[in-house]
Amino acid sequence: MPESRPATPPRSQTTLRKQVLAWLCWPLLLLWSVSSVVDYDIANRFVNLAYDRALLESALDIGRQVKVLKERIYVDLPEVAVQMLQSRESGRLYYRVTGPQNDYITGEPDLPPPPDPFSERVNYYDDQYRGRPVRIVTLQLPLEPGKTERMVMVQVAENRSARNDFARQILLRMILPQALLIVVAGMMIWYAVGRGLAPLVTLRHEIENRSHRDLSALPEEQAPQEVRPLIHAMNALLERLSAALAAQQRFIADAAHQLRTPIAGLKTQTELALRQAPQGEAQTTLRQLQSGTERTTRLVNQLLSLARAEPLIGRVQASELIDLRQLAREATSDWVPRALERNVDLGFDADSHAAHVQGNSFLLREMLNNVLDNAVRYTQPGGQVTVRVAASGSGPTVSVEDNGPGIPDGERARVFERFYRVLGTGAEGCGLGLAIVSEIAQSHGAQVSLYPGIGGIGTVVKIVFPQLGGNFDGQASELASM
Amino acid sequence: MKILIVEDDPVLADGLTRSLRHAEYAVDCLNNGAEADHVLAAQSYDLVILDLGLPGLDGFEVLRRLRRRGAAAPVLVLTARDGLPDRVKGLDLGADDYMIKPFDLPELEARVRALIRRGQTGGGSALAHGALVLDTAGRRATLAGEPLDLSARELGVLEVLMMRSGRVVNKEQLAEQLYGWDEEVGPNAIEVYVHRLRRKLEPAGVSIRTIRGLGYLLEKAPSA
Repeated sequence: MPESRPATPPRSQTTLRKQVLAWLCWPLLLLWSVSSVVDYDIANRFVNLAYDRALLESALDIGRQVKVLKERIYVDLPEVAVQMLQSRESGRLYYRVTGPQNDYITGEPDLPPPPDPFSERVNYYDDQYRGRPVRIVTLQLPLEPGKTERMVMVQVAENRSARNDFARQILLRMILPQALLIVVAGMMIWYAVGRGLAPLVTLRHEIENRSHRDLSALPEEQAPQEVRPLIHAMNALLERLSAALAAQQRFIADAAHQLRTPIAGLKTQTELALRQAPQGEAQTTLRQLQSGTERTTRLVNQLLSLARAEPLIGRVQASELIDLRQLAREATSDWVPRALERNVDLGFDADSHAAHVQGNSFLLREMLNNVLDNAVRYTQPGGQVTVRVAASGSGPTVSVEDNGPGIPDGERARVFERFYRVLGTGAEGCGLGLAIVSEIAQSHGAQVSLYPGIGGIGTVVKIVFPQLGGNFDGQASELASM
Repeated sequence: MKILIVEDDPVLADGLTRSLRHAEYAVDCLNNGAEADHVLAAQSYDLVILDLGLPGLDGFEVLRRLRRRGAAAPVLVLTARDGLPDRVKGLDLGADDYMIKPFDLPELEARVRALIRRGQTGGGSALAHGALVLDTAGRRATLAGEPLDLSARELGVLEVLMMRSGRVVNKEQLAEQLYGWDEEVGPNAIEVYVHRLRRKLEPAGVSIRTIRGLGYLLEKAPSA
């Protein structure tokens, strides 16, 4: 019977990894944007400083060429110099020179005038020229050295775009490595959290792969310090759970034991009464009583078996190497008298190879007893039951086949449930037999299957044990370790 | 024949007592271990039916003290515990037989008869199966008083079958019994002996059944 594994719970949207990442990345991004603004401001300031100085140099160069000849002011700019000014790498320069009366001397006549032409000797300002933002420097120069009455004004303008580009480039070179740093940090956090959580994943696999009967402590040694308290708490819970389960099993076992004596009394008294009662009503009543006692006996025995077969907690269960042929032959032999009583032909068939299994012979015997009980009980008089043991194939196999009434398709899976009985079978039974079989088989890592016999007649119960030396699904080794 | 029943469940004790009294045994019944120990120290019985879970003194302890005093009375242990360790312990302490509650009354009565017989003959030399009686010491068999003409090997096979009457005996067990007469007893030889035995016993209504793949079984005598 496949064990039902709970469906994976819906994944939580906030994983630990995402949370750590969020806590790291959002502040970093905020810091990054603030730093970008500051960086841009700094870059702009230094770029402006450098460009302004170059602009002033140009203005001074032009100013040096301002000459006075016969009271006429002119600027002696050679053609080469003008071309140089107009074809600079950082963009074209515009200039204008005006005389003391603000009279135009040379350059671009339409350069925007300074906001306050006479405030300082050197004045920088931003303005628009020919539809574009420009940076303008205004330089006041005395016509004659030392005489400030007659001043010539030199204006030089250049497009802002060059310096803006430059500032932007500086900014980019500053913030790109920072962004890269954030990405790398994020990736490292992602990886580190994954590595950090690896013990939890291991723990999850450990728990997922456990059988329901394994309540031993989870390994604590390899887990990091932070996870240990969790494992510790889980182990404490497992321990309490095993104790509770063991107590429950003990209770069932004790109850079954306690019931045996009164039932024995009831049985003995019924038997005695039957011998003495006259034929008739009283006999019938006593027979019913006897059959009821039989069923109670069986139920109590099966409850006890079940309590024994269930998770083997805290109890020492010997595990040994068993020859399945020997075990099955003995079990079958035990059932022969009962089969003869019911006129059922019970037989045994085994191939010549030893079929070794690892397990507890008492429990395996109990398992076979239950299969045989069912087969002998539900097969009609004159019917046949055969126990077969084979070592070949997928593993040591024991099967019990009968040519009885069979089990309807729909009920085949349900017969393994406790207290489930196939309707209309008539024979007394309490529906625990196959539950015990399945429980014991599982604890030995064996697979129980049920299918109709040849030609759809009867039932075959087949129990396939794992090959020795192979992996037993951890359960036989669990048996062995106890 | 005196039988002591030590059982603390009154209903069961009463049932056992009455059933054994019907069978003409003299029966004493006690419900306490300590008391049983006292009584057993003072009197001798032909059989003790002993429950294990007793008040006063545990059944195991009663048995241990009984055997320490050297009493040879056969003891049939009744118990609600069917664990193998309990069974082994009981037999180790000197119990002669062991029955798990709840048991079938006829089976208990049969075992009581067998135990008493064994106690009297000191090992039991006569095996009976309905009208068939086998004297294991004298190595001869009689059917309704008439001697049966059986070879030594046939007697050997019959002895094993009768000792385990109603239960399956496999060919290995039979071969083991016959080992010593022949160097090697093959399965075919056993089939021959069983076949001959059958021919001699069947007219008297004693049948040896072949159980497929398992061996043979001497069917329960109707009166057992």
